[in-house]
Amino acid sequence: MRRLLGLLVIVLFIMLFALVIASGGFGYEVPPSKVRELARQFLVYAYNPFNTTFTVKSPEAVTSIVWDFRGLDTLFETLVFYLAIIGALSLYRGIESEKRAEISFLGLSPIVKTVTRITTGIIIAVAASIALHGHLTPGGGFQGGATAAVAPLLILIVFSKYFLENLGLRKNVLLALRSIGLLGIGVTAFSALIIGLVANNPAYVFQNQPKPDAPIGLPAYIGDSLISGTLWFFNFFEMFAVAAGFTVIFLLLGIPEGEVLKQLREESEEH
Amino acid sequence: MRWVRVVEASVIILSVMALFALSSTIATYLAITERSLVKAVLYSAIQSTLYALIYYLLMAPDIVLVYVPVSVGLYPAIVLMLIKKTEKEEES
Repeated sequence: MRRLLGLLVIVLFIMLFALVIASGGFGYEVPPSKVRELARQFLVYAYNPFNTTFTVKSPEAVTSIVWDFRGLDTLFETLVFYLAIIGALSLYRGIESEKRAEISFLGLSPIVKTVTRITTGIIIAVAASIALHGHLTPGGGFQGGATAAVAPLLILIVFSKYFLENLGLRKNVLLALRSIGLLGIGVTAFSALIIGLVANNPAYVFQNQPKPDAPIGLPAYIGDSLISGTLWFFNFFEMFAVAAGFTVIFLLLGIPEGEVLKQLREESEEH
Repeated sequence: MRWVRVVEASVIILSVMALFALSSTIATYLAITERSLVKAVLYSAIQSTLYALIYYLLMAPDIVLVYVPVSVGLYPAIVLMLIKKTEKEEES
């Protein structure tokens, strides 16, 4: 009863508050009728062949912002994710999951398993499409990676953790995949600088397109396909880093609690 | 039929958005006050789904694409796995 009363109070408060804002009680109009100046500039410069100073050569304004206009922010976001996973891994240090050969009796019913076999492929295809077309259509590396991570999660729930490990997706393989992704992001960040050093030209760290004072940059097109310079590579590597990172966490959390406790006890007895 | 008025499309969209926003607040309140942790996660997932719909209506497809797998798939899965490792009911 008290819960219902609290709910009623909250709903009434929100409705009144919304009414005040909508009628201009705070002195401004919502939603605003015009695009803000900053947003307008991003929209103008995202794909603008006539302005070589600021353009990213990507029709997707959000990915342009995420990996070019504020690229360093995204790099450090990726590092935060990297550190979070390192933290989870350190909690589970030294805990090995047991190997099982006979696993066909584990998991849910054959109907669910068959459906999952089909949907897993679809999920991976959608994830690849989101990530690799991230510079053309809405989406990007993190979106694609998070979507791709749903596929191993489904397998883990519907089949079992051992099925996933027997497929070859073990902890160390996934860590290697994630490291390759992060290394790729790092190399891409320095790619323009490396090319500049080799060609003896000025260049910047995190440079994408050629700038007036740094004429060497990454190509916007390969053949006829638009790759928007570094954006495609960032998205590609970020997808691997994110998908492998999430899957490692699932594998670790999937170890039965009893087994973890047993191994922890054995470890403490040894010392 | 004088009382039938033509409603602008934006008004319908904004009303639907307001409805989703209000429902998501209710779901959040239920998630916070719920004793059973599994049910709390379900309420939280409902709130996330409504947020994803709001982002879609706000024309932010980039956020929708990251919000759908994270909020509907990954986040409830991780929290449910953690609940399985602890207790199903919140202590009073």
